Amino acid sequence: MAIAGKRRYTGGLVDVAAGQISREIFVSDEIYAEELERVFTRAWLFVGHESQIPKPGDYFVSGMGEESVILCRDREDRVHVFLNSCRHRGMKVCRYDEGNTPVFTCPYHGWSYATDGKLAGVPYFREAYHSKLDRSQFGLVEVAQLEIYKGTVWATWDPSAPSFLEYLGEFRRYLDLALDAWDGREGGTEVLGGVQKWLIPCNWKFPAENFSGDSYHNISHRSVDLVGIGPSGSGRRDMRERLIGRRLQICFPDRGHQTGAYVLPSEEPTPPAYQHSPVVSEYFRRCEEQRRERLGAWGRVTGAPGELFPNTALHPRQPRSIAVWHPRGAHRTEVWRWYLVDADAPPEVKDFLRQYYIRYSGPAGLTEQDDMENWNYAHAASRGTIARRHPYSYEQGLGFEVENYEWEGLRIPGTVMDVTDSKSSEHNLRNFYRRWAQFMDANSWDELATWRRRP
Amino acid sequence: MINVRTLEPGTRVALTDGSTVEIVSNPKDGIWVFARYLSSPRDTSLVGTEEMVFAQDMVEIQTTP
Repeated sequence: MAIAGKRRYTGGLVDVAAGQISREIFVSDEIYAEELERVFTRAWLFVGHESQIPKPGDYFVSGMGEESVILCRDREDRVHVFLNSCRHRGMKVCRYDEGNTPVFTCPYHGWSYATDGKLAGVPYFREAYHSKLDRSQFGLVEVAQLEIYKGTVWATWDPSAPSFLEYLGEFRRYLDLALDAWDGREGGTEVLGGVQKWLIPCNWKFPAENFSGDSYHNISHRSVDLVGIGPSGSGRRDMRERLIGRRLQICFPDRGHQTGAYVLPSEEPTPPAYQHSPVVSEYFRRCEEQRRERLGAWGRVTGAPGELFPNTALHPRQPRSIAVWHPRGAHRTEVWRWYLVDADAPPEVKDFLRQYYIRYSGPAGLTEQDDMENWNYAHAASRGTIARRHPYSYEQGLGFEVENYEWEGLRIPGTVMDVTDSKSSEHNLRNFYRRWAQFMDANSWDELATWRRRP
Repeated sequence: MINVRTLEPGTRVALTDGSTVEIVSNPKDGIWVFARYLSSPRDTSLVGTEEMVFAQDMVEIQTTP
């Protein structure tokens, strides 16, 4: 999928070397239209979780960029992602959030599709079409590539995009922190409850940047910390690992993914957590113990918020969730948040986590409300003619990144900023926009797959 | 007019072209049913085959299971 065009983002509107980024990339309708094409039709996007469609005929309506898509399991148990749009006149063929069906029928003229996407029913096929319509050419539009990774379903419209695992690169290890069972077994998570969906009046890149590693905004959550919504009765989450371990910001410049992480000392056990419930606390203590045994030194790594480029946010620990920032115009974002839990955790643990998760995240979550307020007003105050003339500053920590970071014998994949002493850095944020600018400037995946050009 | 959503498997229905079909399954989308041809004056080769039948082609319920 080659796209012709000129370069104006890298070193222009996005000047990562100088640590300055134009407000235009957040508020311009023209740039928004361009990023739908250049970012959202080419990148891998999170669609849903296999546990949402366990049986043949199950479906979940999701989104990729502005497109409505259907994630479904066909009668042969194969998983598909289709554009939710009739091939005849474009009407949505599925207007429910989720369910089970043998067919997706367009309510406009009645074209009907099987769960494998094939056009199965055309009203008056013999009479009006004289049996001439080639139905095999008018199945639902299917994504170019689909990957199921540890239960999560990812897709891209671009047939020339690298495979999902290549797209992830070494970031895979950090994604695993959200998807593996807490005791370190591979996979083993499921979606807890439904998917929360809500609108925020801001550009999608505000939340994407925030989850990339903006720990500088911690001050705006001070009221939540004072309320003490955390699972041990103080703060908003268990934070003792901060006091004894290294606090890292990690990014992958050639992929555009980034995350935070904590690394515990080799001799220290994982601090106790979830102390509001003895059952839950004991569950996680046991899991942590098994995790250390199973994973060795890597078991000392605890995940923190991250962003898988472009619009999938990871929150691997407390609360454990995945969010997608769906673009809905330059000035609006629709957030979808999935909550994850160990599939085989006891019901009491799941229920405790459910209540904690919704206290923290989602439209009614106290922490997420703080964030939404910031993004909402920052966006609104950046739209004016005068405001647009003044770029944002992303200079924090510029030039202090460390490659091949190692601590107590554990090498950490990615380009690392140890922020234990410096408290904060914006290098993960710069990484996100560096990659975004590359997507906006590049004409094809030949240019974007920069890692393939390394000797 | 037939409310297609309520048709149960086993129901026999007359179509506009004179055919008779028996409902095999109903996705309850209000537009289509899966049905087997019992008779078809238009095309006898259809008898015994299963097809999706369009709501506006159904004119009368003949028998219910």
